[in-house]
Amino acid sequence: MSMHVPVRIGPAEATLIAQLNERGDNPAAERLAASGLPTRKVESYHYTDLKMLLRAVPGLSHVEKALGEPALRVPGAHRISMTNDVPDLDGNEPTGVRVSTTKGSALSERDDVLVRINSALAVKTLKLELSGTIGTVLHIDRRTGGGAGHMNDSVHLFLADGGKATVIETFSGSDEAHVANHASYVALAKGAELTHVLLDLSAAGSTSFATAEYQIGADAKLRTVTIHVGSALSRINLFARFTGEGAHADLTGLNLATEGQHSDITLELLHAVPHCSSKPLFKQVARGRSKAVFQGKIVVARHAQKTDAKLMMQGLMLSDEAEILSKPELEIFADDVVCGHGSTVGALDEDSLFYLMSRGVPKAEAEAMLVRGFLKEVLDPIEDEELRTALEGVVERWLDSK
Amino acid sequence: MTTPMLEIRNLHARIEDREILKGVNLTIPAGEVHAVMGRNGSGKSTLSYVLAGKEDYEVTEGEVLLDGEDILALDPSERANTGLFLAFQYPIEIPGVATMTFLKAAMNAQRKAHGEAELSTPDFMRAVKDAGRDLHVDSDMLKRALNVGFSGGEKKRAEILQMALLKPKMCVLDETDSGLDIDALQVVSHGVNALRGPERSMLVITHYQRLLNHIVPDVVHVFSDGKIVESGPKELALELEAKGYAGFDEVAA
Repeated sequence: MSMHVPVRIGPAEATLIAQLNERGDNPAAERLAASGLPTRKVESYHYTDLKMLLRAVPGLSHVEKALGEPALRVPGAHRISMTNDVPDLDGNEPTGVRVSTTKGSALSERDDVLVRINSALAVKTLKLELSGTIGTVLHIDRRTGGGAGHMNDSVHLFLADGGKATVIETFSGSDEAHVANHASYVALAKGAELTHVLLDLSAAGSTSFATAEYQIGADAKLRTVTIHVGSALSRINLFARFTGEGAHADLTGLNLATEGQHSDITLELLHAVPHCSSKPLFKQVARGRSKAVFQGKIVVARHAQKTDAKLMMQGLMLSDEAEILSKPELEIFADDVVCGHGSTVGALDEDSLFYLMSRGVPKAEAEAMLVRGFLKEVLDPIEDEELRTALEGVVERWLDSK
Repeated sequence: MTTPMLEIRNLHARIEDREILKGVNLTIPAGEVHAVMGRNGSGKSTLSYVLAGKEDYEVTEGEVLLDGEDILALDPSERANTGLFLAFQYPIEIPGVATMTFLKAAMNAQRKAHGEAELSTPDFMRAVKDAGRDLHVDSDMLKRALNVGFSGGEKKRAEILQMALLKPKMCVLDETDSGLDIDALQVVSHGVNALRGPERSMLVITHYQRLLNHIVPDVVHVFSDGKIVESGPKELALELEAKGYAGFDEVAA
């Protein structure tokens, strides 16, 4: 017999409960009131105790106009800006891109607090339906504007049979204590090929949550690149699922954490069908007093035979005060599969540093060369050169900004 | 009297609690090639690392003057920019750093230290191509990550290529012959000899006389138990080969 001990509700939770009730999602509000935000006792939030880390939630955001320069410019890309969930559409979308908006959030129901909040609070979803080969990179420039606000936006991306596209979504916004909770739903139909970049460039004082859900159809090829740079507190959920046979996914990411940041990327990949392969590769770099977290779980369903999955996390610590936490997991229910996982963390190699310096390269530059070299494996496979160069620029600015 | 290129005075160094260099004295005039021979574990490689400024070693006593300037307070990159070059016995493999990117960074770092403008890409490419020709370093090798997947010979050729591009005043060659077959040894030695000149000195560290048939030294020093125990003309190397190092240990005792 266990006794039910009611959880203590903090100010952040109280605000969230009120907002959920205000939007009419009483079950979500009741659920949050009963269990509170997840603490370290909840396995999937073990390293990111939201009850402790999320101290306050501002009022719900209001509609704002996109102002100023985007946080990232990708030359040649078609940019669609969206500020506090309102897309700025000019009707000049490239051939093969159909844009519309639908009501509510794009995410599937799931037992996750961020998903529940987005599902309750996202008013509408920007829907992009892509078909054929999209000749230009699509840049969805998602911003949190105005004064400090709690913002839930949502994007639905569908790539039709045999389609080919490269899409980057950036998160950025005004330098306020925003709490943004983004959602992306990405579906690849049969034989589709997609490169999907999620890049968090949010302001230093903000909190940025995001959930990206991937449905990978038969014979599809997906490359994801999830990059954290901005925001003081960040949690990115990646939920990927193979829904058709013969598909391949390279799920990759760079988690860059700098002084004062706590950044968590959590991946859950479900091999639900046979004959799919996946290669999750995540690199984390932490400097100053910061914490970088990666959790990667691959689940292979009972009938998902001939699955080939290899998960790798590599961490690089640039200071003694930095923390890198990594938890790779495999849950395999099938018996004819090749699965593996690995996780390594270390400092910069002293011998490599000495070698570069012995040729006259100053210490700071030698360190930067080694970090760049460490991250290259994730950026190099990005096919579009302009996009790759723009992302290399993001890494350069991160290296320069310490 | 002219300033020697390298002057090592009573150099003592240790790693953790173990003293490895126990009072090294060595003077190399400009333009001369000196060889240091000694058995494995005598401290020869430590001498090269201490000269280049590797952090693991602590200098407890002594001085090292490069062209009259004390370099012991400088970090490895500053020493390199003063004109010191260490050709590594085991060049480090650095995945993710392209050889060309590295060469350009090194050349420009030194130019910057000397107040010179950065090399233009065509000038850089030409310099690498010219220097690479004699060393049989082809563009395929240069496209790869630094030293990654290079054979023993390729690594040593790449070291000499760097030396040719950086034009140091003082070259320290640590066991450059190790891991080389006869053909590769000839290519590397030829590359080193091509860099000999009145303004450049070399310290060749080896434990085989073989290398000194190819890179003929002006002076040979015998190294034993952390110091130089005997110095003489190039014939000393032959004597050493005949007698073995044991004969010289007694001198040290």
